[in-house]
Amino acid sequence: MATAKDKGLALCPKCHKLNPATAEPVICARCHGKFYQRKRNSLQYTLAWNVAALLAFIPANLYPIMIVYQLGIGDEATILSGIGEFIEHGLYPIAIIIFTASIIVPLIKIIGLFVLVYKVHTGIRLKPDKHSKIYHILELLGPWSMLDVFVVALMVTVVELGFVTSVAAGPAINYFTITVIFTMFAANSFDPRLLWDKQTSESVKNSSNTLSEQKDRNDK
Amino acid sequence: MDKKINTSLFVACQQCDAIYDKPHLKQGQLAKCNRCGSTLIERKVDSIERSFNWSLAGLMLMLPAILLPIMGVTLAGQFHQASLFDCILVLIDRGFFMIACLVFLFAIAVPIVRLAGALYLSYCFKFNKLKPSLLNFFRAYHHLDHWAMLNVFMLGIVVSMYKLLDDTELTINLGLLAFILWLICSTMSAVALDQDYIWDKLERKFPRSCIHGNC
Repeated sequence: MATAKDKGLALCPKCHKLNPATAEPVICARCHGKFYQRKRNSLQYTLAWNVAALLAFIPANLYPIMIVYQLGIGDEATILSGIGEFIEHGLYPIAIIIFTASIIVPLIKIIGLFVLVYKVHTGIRLKPDKHSKIYHILELLGPWSMLDVFVVALMVTVVELGFVTSVAAGPAINYFTITVIFTMFAANSFDPRLLWDKQTSESVKNSSNTLSEQKDRNDK
Repeated sequence: MDKKINTSLFVACQQCDAIYDKPHLKQGQLAKCNRCGSTLIERKVDSIERSFNWSLAGLMLMLPAILLPIMGVTLAGQFHQASLFDCILVLIDRGFFMIACLVFLFAIAVPIVRLAGALYLSYCFKFNKLKPSLLNFFRAYHHLDHWAMLNVFMLGIVVSMYKLLDDTELTINLGLLAFILWLICSTMSAVALDQDYIWDKLERKFPRSCIHGNC
């Protein structure tokens, strides 16, 4: 299948107009934005944001995320111990939602993007149709891990009854938001078209190989 | 080889870069990529009217959604309730600047800017007041695509309500209703906006050479 790149065209990421890719960066004829045929240094950026997100994810899990004061006594809870408390109280739906949003989703995003970058870089067992679907899911999941941050923010605001009970946010909340935002940057800087580029170039290589093989046979 | 290709006759898939002849679509139809299945172009029904109305409604609901208290708790005879705006004030008051900033950005500022942007765009199209600055405006509008998190905030409200229900008396206020309606309006106004149509029309009205003054 022909791609825009083969024809020397580039698609503007903002207004989706095709432009002739004469010089990089291309200036879009429609919206006058500067852009590149493929996102520039896409893999490097994705990898860098991803590593940063993974690093921030460690303190996010070690420090307390929420501190509940009852009659002046503080009770610290990390993300995992908070989930444990929900299970003890029998609030299974919340435990599952929070666990998915704040542990599984960020981890899946980070691991998934690492895998995609690795596959694009090496081209081993790359299945563009499957992997672009995975990328699409990762992109959609992005903002949902902010859930925990919003819950803590709401708890801090609503449960403010002076000495009786109050809730404070712990340092982990900052690291956690950093993780979420960095994974969103990582997903945004990945270019799914690279998945397909590899395939087309490889199929071209394969077809040219078969051609040359045929030629060899003919020569013999 | 150096033949000039008329680029407006083709479309390329954003996900996989496959190139197609530009299909002629009627309102309500959409074209999908054969290779990766993502949407190529979509012609939305009554795009301008709908996004104008939804974003106007959204802007009207904005104030009640932000200022009316969303929920309150009663514990040991004390009552306390909070609105979205209180939320930010309290967070700043207690020194959690980073979460205050994030909640402000993702749950208040970005949705408002997006709504206002959609309203301005559809207003200009509806009353035919197109100007070249709209090109830059609409390009800037796309930067905010990923960053409106009202739906996540809504789930956050539901989860924290469930959480509070466990050991306090919870009261729900009008703010919650306003917030839900605001969420619906801002989602619908973003969905209704037909990007391809707007770009096409802007392009026809302001070809590039004219703006730089060399036509």
